[in-house]
Amino acid sequence: MGKKKQEMSQVYGSNEFIFGERGGRGKHLSSFLKNLSLTGSSTRSGEAEDDVNRNIYGELSYGPAQSMQRRSSSSVRLSGRSVSGPVGSSYAHMGVPEKNLSLYSNQSIANSNPSLKKSTKLKYKDLDDDWDADLEKVDEAPVAKTTKSFSNSNPRYDNQMPVMVDSLYPDLIPVSQPALPDKDSMDYEDLKMKMEVSRLNQLNSKYMKFHKVLTSDANIDLTELRKLSWNGIPQELRALSWQLLLGYLPTNHSRQQSTLKRKRQEYAEGINTVSNIDLDEDAANANAEASRSELSLPSTTSSNRDKQIYHQIKIDVKRTNPTIKLYGYPATQRSLRKVLFLWAIRHPASGYVQGINDLVTPFYQIFLQNYLWQLQKKRTGEGEELFIPNLLDDNDECEKAILDDPQLARLSADTFDPGRLSSRATLIIEADTYWCLSRLLDNITDNYIHEQPGIIRQVGDLRNLISKIDVELLQHFDSEGIEFLQFSFRWMNCLLMREISIPLIIRMWDTYLSETPLGFNSFHVYVCAAFLIKFSNELKHKEFQEIILFLQNPPTSGWTERDVELMLSEAFIWHSLYKNASAHLR
Amino acid sequence: MELKSYDKYRMSFAPPTTSVKLVLLGEAAVGKSSLVLRFVSNDFQENKEPTIGAAFLTQKCTIGERTIKYEIWDTAGQERFASLAPMYYRNAQAALVVYDITKPASFIKARHWVKELHEQASKDITIALVGNKHDLVEDDNDGDDSSLRKVSIEEGQKLADEEGLLFFETSAKTAYNVNEVFVGIGSKIPEAPLLKPQQPQATDGRIDLSTGTAPAADGCAC
Repeated sequence: MGKKKQEMSQVYGSNEFIFGERGGRGKHLSSFLKNLSLTGSSTRSGEAEDDVNRNIYGELSYGPAQSMQRRSSSSVRLSGRSVSGPVGSSYAHMGVPEKNLSLYSNQSIANSNPSLKKSTKLKYKDLDDDWDADLEKVDEAPVAKTTKSFSNSNPRYDNQMPVMVDSLYPDLIPVSQPALPDKDSMDYEDLKMKMEVSRLNQLNSKYMKFHKVLTSDANIDLTELRKLSWNGIPQELRALSWQLLLGYLPTNHSRQQSTLKRKRQEYAEGINTVSNIDLDEDAANANAEASRSELSLPSTTSSNRDKQIYHQIKIDVKRTNPTIKLYGYPATQRSLRKVLFLWAIRHPASGYVQGINDLVTPFYQIFLQNYLWQLQKKRTGEGEELFIPNLLDDNDECEKAILDDPQLARLSADTFDPGRLSSRATLIIEADTYWCLSRLLDNITDNYIHEQPGIIRQVGDLRNLISKIDVELLQHFDSEGIEFLQFSFRWMNCLLMREISIPLIIRMWDTYLSETPLGFNSFHVYVCAAFLIKFSNELKHKEFQEIILFLQNPPTSGWTERDVELMLSEAFIWHSLYKNASAHLR
Repeated sequence: MELKSYDKYRMSFAPPTTSVKLVLLGEAAVGKSSLVLRFVSNDFQENKEPTIGAAFLTQKCTIGERTIKYEIWDTAGQERFASLAPMYYRNAQAALVVYDITKPASFIKARHWVKELHEQASKDITIALVGNKHDLVEDDNDGDDSSLRKVSIEEGQKLADEEGLLFFETSAKTAYNVNEVFVGIGSKIPEAPLLKPQQPQATDGRIDLSTGTAPAADGCAC
């Protein structure tokens, strides 16, 4: 980790600064560090704690939220009430800068997203492709120098900074902490506790903000939802938020039920029209016997092409996420086959293209997870105002059985066998998956039609973007004979799903879905640029074969949400800087 | 240290390693990636995820006195990705055209690939036709109606003879005949090392993916 960050800071050279809360002129890293230094010696009083929170988080959250957060911090101590629902993933979206690391501050940009977009646009309008020039203006003092001397004369920070970063992310605490003096280690415990409190406050305040937007009386404010979602959606509100962000679920509460009913009905009818191909055939039966009978399938109305498509989908679904238990169940595979096949039949220009089988999985998994979450909530009798309409049904026998399962609270989509669902619930989850997948793919139809022009264009855009951001890397690739298609074709075709684990991809989609237009097309190219440049220093020392081998198996297995959020923030900055200069990219 | 002097010895007395750029082509899900995985890592995965674009792997192979280093581009089989294939076979010295002996359509596709290679690829490219998934027909009796085999050995051999190809039936799953394909290709590659190997020779110590297997005196090193 540390090494990577060091390298990243080198990538950005000496331009280190902290972005201000509303995206305007930032403040210097040194003054930011000074603020942080208060935490080391603070007392245990509640007020000091609030100070800590304010120093670390306060400045980064938007106006009304700030007061809300501080109010709740007095009620939420370490042992205080926890956020309702499982505290699944960490939503701490604030990184504390380490020495020599500027980019954490980008997260603050992310916080003030839409307003910032405007100000950034204004600020950088005429400086489309000269990154250094921008920074000189924003950052009048030679900050890198300041930072350096600062850390040299205060060795204490060298120890403290990593500690603080890690206590925000308890998982990341280094095994061997540098030995601190007694007093400091007490501070450290103190600090750790405060960080935990802050983290819970963050989560709680975040949840409350979403709750407020999602349960507003008349129409849900999509702009506000996008703003919040850009920084990650609480796990239990993700299905609902995604459906809203994709425009599948209407923002007008009174229209939601009827719309969903109609859409689910349309899906069911669609499936009926194509069901002369044996869609319900179990994977378990899909052995020699079945494949024999399939060849002699009576070709009533289904064309030969349809059968080929179905055959390909069947093969691919079996080998989709083979390491995750959920995807091994016949019921999962059956649902995915149906969704993918209907989409392919309805979109003859592209048909089924490998990679779409990857793109369907986040939706299926999130909607299944949501079904389980709603049942869990139903049993405890809370949270109904956040349910996706018409999903639960009191007369559903299978549903009753799951409700009575003593393990209900512990059920998770990762391991749940959807064979336990009624055909009613299965159909709803499939239908929601189908329509959301369709909306996603509507944004990138060019990626999957003949000769895949969308992907070719994106790969070209990526190359041009690298030529702006990291020309040395591009020159190295050129001298080694690396073609961008050789490594980034897959990044576009599967939206990085082969490179990054599903939970992190889901987090990335929170952001993609909050972009307007959706981020799966052009914003994704900026994310790919950020992804590539993360490894820039390593790649510059490699030769052709090593580069290809490295990039087809990049070292992301240890990645956390923080890595992904950092990458998204970088992408956001470049997007802001270069999106209006796209003419130059051609 | 010892390794170093051994390398020096090899550099000065043994013939240099020949680099051979090899490309795999064939319909989706016939087992291209599995053949390569067997050759490179002597491993097999039941549900290997579909290849997107292409995958790159390398493996060394010793045939008699010679050492051949294969630089393998394993392409995606689905029709939609076919427009990428020329980028990969353009400079290839060898190609494996793979089909599934239980899927007649994949044999038709193999014919198309052979034709395209003859028309578009380098004139002296060495091509092997490979019928994979032999494990599925291992227990078959000849003429048994229940056989899964849909493409006979004779059909495969006939196509190979007509087009001047090497021909093998293999099983990536059981490893049957897999190394033989690569040894066979290597033996047909002209003795003279290519004048312009794509990469400098002595730089690839960490790329050699063969682990724990000492190079055999003869036969394939994997």
